[in-house]
Amino acid sequence: MIRLGIIGMGRMGITHYSIINSHPEVEIIAVADTSKITLDLLKKYVPNLQVFKDYKELIDTAKPDALIVCTPPNLHFEVCIYAFQNNIHVFVEKPFTSNVKHAEELKQKFESKGLVNQVGYVNRFNDVFMTVKKYVESGLIGEIIRFKSEMFSCTVSKKEESESWRSFRENGGGAVYEIAAHAIDLVDYIIGPPDQIVGTSMNQIFSKHVEDIVSSTFLYKNGCSGTLYVNWCDTSYRKPSNKLELFGSKGKILADQHGLKVFLNADDVVTGYKKGWNTVYITDIFTPVKFYVRGNEFTRQLYHFADTILGQEKGDICTFTDGYNAQNIMHQLFEDAKINSLKA
Amino acid sequence: MEKIDKIVFGDNQFFGINHMSQEKAQQLSEKFFDTENIYKVYDLAFNNGIEAVMLNSNDRAKEICDYFRENKKQYGHLSWYPSIPYPHKYANMVNEKGIFPAINDVLFSNNSALGILGMVAKGGMAVLSKDAIEMMKMLVDVEVKMYKGLNVKVVFLQNIIVDLLLGYDIKDVFYEYCTYIRKKYNALPGLITQNMPYLKAKLEEWGIEEVVICSSINKIGYLMSPDIQTYLDAIEKNDPNKYQLMAMSTLASGAIRASDAYNFINSLNLQSVVFGASSERNIKETVSLIKLRD
Repeated sequence: MIRLGIIGMGRMGITHYSIINSHPEVEIIAVADTSKITLDLLKKYVPNLQVFKDYKELIDTAKPDALIVCTPPNLHFEVCIYAFQNNIHVFVEKPFTSNVKHAEELKQKFESKGLVNQVGYVNRFNDVFMTVKKYVESGLIGEIIRFKSEMFSCTVSKKEESESWRSFRENGGGAVYEIAAHAIDLVDYIIGPPDQIVGTSMNQIFSKHVEDIVSSTFLYKNGCSGTLYVNWCDTSYRKPSNKLELFGSKGKILADQHGLKVFLNADDVVTGYKKGWNTVYITDIFTPVKFYVRGNEFTRQLYHFADTILGQEKGDICTFTDGYNAQNIMHQLFEDAKINSLKA
Repeated sequence: MEKIDKIVFGDNQFFGINHMSQEKAQQLSEKFFDTENIYKVYDLAFNNGIEAVMLNSNDRAKEICDYFRENKKQYGHLSWYPSIPYPHKYANMVNEKGIFPAINDVLFSNNSALGILGMVAKGGMAVLSKDAIEMMKMLVDVEVKMYKGLNVKVVFLQNIIVDLLLGYDIKDVFYEYCTYIRKKYNALPGLITQNMPYLKAKLEEWGIEEVVICSSINKIGYLMSPDIQTYLDAIEKNDPNKYQLMAMSTLASGAIRASDAYNFINSLNLQSVVFGASSERNIKETVSLIKLRD
């Protein structure tokens, strides 16, 4: 039995609690949050749960084997370090940190002790993107020459009324950390980290201090290149959507969370796909999960974390190394955007 | 328990929801931007014998409810199956402010929602936040308000809420919701879920009966957790006097041909089917294909 604690009971913490509580080998023993209302409610309705205002107290008193960390991103580092010092396995939400040096340090530390470490880039557990990864690795569309990774959401649709951690980049707020992180991680997952980033630009629409739109160009030494375009003020989208387009030497792939299309220059024996367009729906490739709350990928990622601790999974999907890679790319985007402003 | 309608007309097609294709969803969303086009499709459904409507409490539902209330002579015989809440409204508010400030806004900033006097008498958010049940009841009232005056048969709680709460394994919330819907609205409590066998087992364990359970049921097992066989076992063993089962996503977003889909559905111990369609051909075909066992 894994004795698990959750630090940060905001939207993601609340969801993760529900999902991981369904795992037969996991017992949620404690949660920590700064909101007294949240803690009072949990205490009232979940009798044996220990609740804490301070994460250190949770770790010292409840002594969990594993933690799910869903605090604002700027706190991830100190929580993870304290967990590391106490030999605790950690699942941490994205973005991994709000500082690339912190990301690197956490990656090295957790690997050095062999502690299970995972970051919440949930697309890596999505049926469609897992399939795209498999196809690209098998060479279905040949060498990737050009790609486009886009993400749209209507997360911010009016001027900010009040400020929270989401209003400041130092705290992990902004379209890059909160939304683009997923589009960037998909590139890292399927193509790998770029060797150089150029032409980054950002726009503000509603946010006062952070960016609402980002676009950029990723360059690779092997000649591949691609573009990133992310907008979190796009009200034409009902829910966050990733779109990925890969152009290769033997064909191309268009994918989003719900399905993919493959265009091939010649018939493929292994997949049975024909020359020309082939459409694959989520209903063709899904695998069910034991308990569904917010999409199969959310269950799959947390079960992967638990099952890795139990020794039933390798734990190689979305590690702190992957979290560091995305963090490093985001850091480069911010640096590149600074030098790309319009000359007066 | 009052018997529910065997065929219920759903609403996903009107509001740009299609789980398989964003493109298809966009096309429909354009078509139904004009609410008149929604009423035209409803009339097609009613002309083909449908007498029950499931409608989510989204930002356009109020206008639709108003229309049917105003035209009671023509539509007074219809049964209504509201599903609450509209999750995306809350999702964005919660993103921006956090959960409790968002609830606070829904309940208190909009004075017209419930009447500010009632709120003050109840002690406002400070008192409410200690009592999740009271808070839940008030949120239900805010969402159900728009259906007032319509013949509401079942009030469904959306799966995102049901399944989230199910994970917490708290009996009280389910018990109180079901009791409240029966008493206050004189309707059957409904729960939408993607984990039907587990939810049903929990309700049995908790002694909560006379509930309508709506879940995806299709022959390829899409959106059926943990798996299709567990669903089939739970459906076969079900006593419809305790739980009426309603199937949704019967075509698995279009992955299954209608005739195949309903051959499968008709062979099961199900009490109702909810489906959405926007052409007369599809409505006619579906109505003719649905032949539930009892």
